[in-house]
Amino acid sequence: MSTQTLLPESFQALEPYAVGWALGGSAVRAARRGNSTPGEREAFYAAAVGELPRALDYLDAKGFAAFDDADERLMNLMLSLGHVALAVEQQKGAETRHARDRAHMRITHTPAGA
Amino acid sequence: MNSPTTFTPVGQDELDWLGTDPVPATPYYDPEWFDLEREAVFRRSWQQIGHVCELPENGSFIRRELEVLGASLLITRGKDGEVRAFHNVCTHRGTLLVDEAQGKRNTFSCPYHMWTFGLDGGLISAPDFESFHVTKAECALPPVACEVAGGLIFVHLGKPESSLREWLGPYANKLDMMPVARATTFSEYVYDIAANWKLTYDNFQENYHLRFIHPSAAGPVTSPDNPFAYPTAYDFHGPHRSQRIWTKPDMPEPTPVQGMAFQRGAACAMADGILGGETAKDYLGLFPNFFLFGSPMQHFSHTVYPIAAGQSRGVIRLYWIGEDETPSERFAREYFMATARDVHTEDRAVIERGHKGLASGALEHLHFQTQESLCRHLFNMVSEKVEAYRAECEGVGA
Ligand code: FES
Ligand SMILES: [Fe+2]
Repeated sequence: MSTQTLLPESFQALEPYAVGWALGGSAVRAARRGNSTPGEREAFYAAAVGELPRALDYLDAKGFAAFDDADERLMNLMLSLGHVALAVEQQKGAETRHARDRAHMRITHTPAGA
Repeated sequence: MNSPTTFTPVGQDELDWLGTDPVPATPYYDPEWFDLEREAVFRRSWQQIGHVCELPENGSFIRRELEVLGASLLITRGKDGEVRAFHNVCTHRGTLLVDEAQGKRNTFSCPYHMWTFGLDGGLISAPDFESFHVTKAECALPPVACEVAGGLIFVHLGKPESSLREWLGPYANKLDMMPVARATTFSEYVYDIAANWKLTYDNFQENYHLRFIHPSAAGPVTSPDNPFAYPTAYDFHGPHRSQRIWTKPDMPEPTPVQGMAFQRGAACAMADGILGGETAKDYLGLFPNFFLFGSPMQHFSHTVYPIAAGQSRGVIRLYWIGEDETPSERFAREYFMATARDVHTEDRAVIERGHKGLASGALEHLHFQTQESLCRHLFNMVSEKVEAYRAECEGVGA
């Protein structure tokens, strides 16, 4: 059994969410929010919200040029948190219906890579 | 900057000149009226079609479809750095020249018989050209009037009566002052909608619906003295219009992730020198179908492209200065894009519902209140141009 981890060492607590949420591409992250269950969103949000400031500080200190794969995954994980937070903090109970309407808004370009 | 503690809406007396009558419903769904608009409005207006940051290098090109006039356009940056627009139509026998949506090239070759054109539209080579009965100079790509203001590319598919800057009047300077003029990249999302372009556009120039359609977003921006978040001022210039957005003096605490995005985003906007600009509360509506909001952190444009009487396409862009320089900046930008997309999602759904009702023909009229005066102004402008065009056509026919 490999003990290889996906995220930088100091973010082990987020390891269970890396496979499901550390996704490349803004449209993919938005779609992941749209296809998630309330339970998945709440669990990810609860685990990650407190880590957001520390994760951004860590990644800022490192800088894009020095990113390794684990850093890239942590970045993508935090970007997904942004999407999920809109469901958990803003839409709340309206999220399910909202997700259906939102699918019409196709993300076509972002500086992060659509 | 004064934050009003007691809000006073713009009074009807200031807006009386726009009229108060009910507005006829047919122009919002009738295909015959739409056909008149193609010529009267869209053939005779400068239309926003892109941004210079999409043409970063000499040789960069973009292709844009303008369905309302059945046009496919090729926009290039030449070897001399000039931005030019052409019909994307091979002058041999009309084949659409370029397929890719964007790229970088020095020449464009038509797949049919390999006529090859340069970035300046000139015909460079054509196989067995000696057998034709025409000169190369006569075979350049058909040019389209193209001008830039505030970094935004506009085209005119008729005979422009004035330069773009004359057409925009005082709003040209506003564009120059906004971050869009310095933008180098953007976030974009696109929607198709089964609704008339005016009905779609109108939704984004009245705040009356905010609290009902955007319950989660409207809460923080409304207050007991301004429950509809009406703007503090309206302004008009020719066919264009604008409003000055009201901001609540005591905004509630943001939610945790939202607060983090604001904090990190504000630091980036500060570094770019775009915080606190004079145009930060200006929301411009440039005739016929373009919006730009001056807010430095949510600096979005919105173009509603008509496709048919009951079909449109919306393109929303948040313009940014510089690539994502830090992970925090990347985070804030993606969050702001997703926030705006959430709000526009809610609009799209209700607009389609509106179009269905109107297109049933059940109503003879619709009604605009004082704080929907920008919608009334759009109708007045369109109607004026359609009536003038109709009179011209009848004059010719007589
Ligand atoms: S139609 Fe383009 S080369 Fe013949
Ligand atoms: Fe809205």
